[in-house]
Amino acid sequence: MSSHREAPGISKDPVADSTDLYAFVSPDKPDTVTIIANYVPLEEPDGGPNFYEFGNDVLYEINIDNDGDAQPEITYQFRFNTKITNPNTFLYNTGPITSLTSSSWNRRQFYTVTKIVKGHATVVGSGLACPPCNVGVRSTPKYASLASAAITTLSSGETVFAGQRAEGFYVDLGSIFDLGVLRPFQNLHLIHMPATAGVNGTNNLNVHSIALQIPKTSLTKDGSNPTNEADPKSVIGVYTAAYRQKASMHDNEGNQWGVGPWVQVSRLGNPLFNEVIVPMSRKDEWNTEKPSDDAEFAQYVAHPELAGLLPVLYPGVFPNLAVLDKSGAVRADLEAILLTGIPSGIIGGFQNFTGKTLADLLRLNMAIAPSSSPSIYGILGGDLAGFPNGRRVQDDTVAIELRAVAGATYPLVAPSYKPDAAAALLTDGTTPASVNAPYLSSFPYLGTPYDGFDVPS
Amino acid sequence: MAKLARRGFLKRTTASVATIGVMASVPAALTAITDAPQITETAGTDLSSLSLAEGPLVAHISNIATGEISLLSGTQEIVFRDPDLVMRLLKFMH
Repeated sequence: MSSHREAPGISKDPVADSTDLYAFVSPDKPDTVTIIANYVPLEEPDGGPNFYEFGNDVLYEINIDNDGDAQPEITYQFRFNTKITNPNTFLYNTGPITSLTSSSWNRRQFYTVTKIVKGHATVVGSGLACPPCNVGVRSTPKYASLASAAITTLSSGETVFAGQRAEGFYVDLGSIFDLGVLRPFQNLHLIHMPATAGVNGTNNLNVHSIALQIPKTSLTKDGSNPTNEADPKSVIGVYTAAYRQKASMHDNEGNQWGVGPWVQVSRLGNPLFNEVIVPMSRKDEWNTEKPSDDAEFAQYVAHPELAGLLPVLYPGVFPNLAVLDKSGAVRADLEAILLTGIPSGIIGGFQNFTGKTLADLLRLNMAIAPSSSPSIYGILGGDLAGFPNGRRVQDDTVAIELRAVAGATYPLVAPSYKPDAAAALLTDGTTPASVNAPYLSSFPYLGTPYDGFDVPS
Repeated sequence: MAKLARRGFLKRTTASVATIGVMASVPAALTAITDAPQITETAGTDLSSLSLAEGPLVAHISNIATGEISLLSGTQEIVFRDPDLVMRLLKFMH
């Protein structure tokens, strides 16, 4: 998956597990950038009576680097707390929840937002309400309007939302982790079967989103409005991180405390980085590191394991990739996409280069306007407004990264290389149409969460 | 160890630990991005500048051989070495 349960340690700690990160110029408000950090993977909509929520004992961050040093100049921190309205019931709600102040809603979550700019921290929102989970048609009727009521504006001007959304990331989990099978191409797999359509393993599941919509002028290092795509100031690097305190204490009465400094336990920049680039033995370690220290993981980008596996799993399909992989050549194309951004002069009218510091950041050139006819394949589909220029909620990052690893982007740095024909066709067979909940055309863009009464049905 | 009150524990440690390197009282929000605390060798003692937060005060003997102790309160951590204190604390385990 993008980063759901991607490392052994964090897979046991869902509320701190960053699953997806999106950053894009808001299509309906192009003077702003929307950043969405998702946590709590694979929520079953009917997961009551203790429905999903953020961790009160977790510190969540969205970090933005705007000067190319791979260090955040702007950080938004989110802390959550839970209040129980009626201590005498086991129920999440004792009647329909018709508003964010409904007396029948028993377990509510609130949050505080702290904005840190160059080391100066300011609380820019407190007591902000999360919406409830989408329990079902009786408990949470008119859920869309209930969730919309939880969208608010911070004192520093950003729009914010924190709460449950429909999972927008689509992927054929069941096939990919069954020895790298892509169902549309499984007739070509080493252990072959007739080709079939892909199956979206995350369909009908929910997730918890922290979403911000930020004026572009608040993101550039000098407050300017980014209009020149060639200007380094137009590019930001984004990552999300979650922290737990160093020690956890439990007493014999059900109380729990965290104590000590915050320790990073999860992070996410580019989708699938820790998932398919970093070897399992180092995934937990990677989650504790800062992006600015990613040079120590660069070897796995330069020589990705997956590039060596594809020719083995699909005999005869990737002969050129096999030669490239065996040559030991550094995959400078992947280093650019994932660790430095793409420099000017590689792709006409585009760059998202942030300097030589190797760091897994989701890099967005804010001067690139939203596309009027977006391609889910982003830059590989000729759409400069899509991944790996930031990431939109509908981008097919699985296919894009599969194609890149398979050699489709290597000619960007080695023009004489001829990618295998299959490289530009790779897909797991899932698309945005594989997601039942419609995406929204406005903030927070991810669809209304599936409700527990109707899903599963 | 479980019977040691927080203040009592501080009194005991201050008797043998000196020049404890208390992290600057940065806002709690900023502590997530601070680096690991410095290890301070034992000598003198003044723990009064440690601002105790609500919740537990935890002393973690992180290295018995070197006498390294991490003192955790709120979002602060102080790391120091005091082999004598570690030896005395270990007696409670027997």
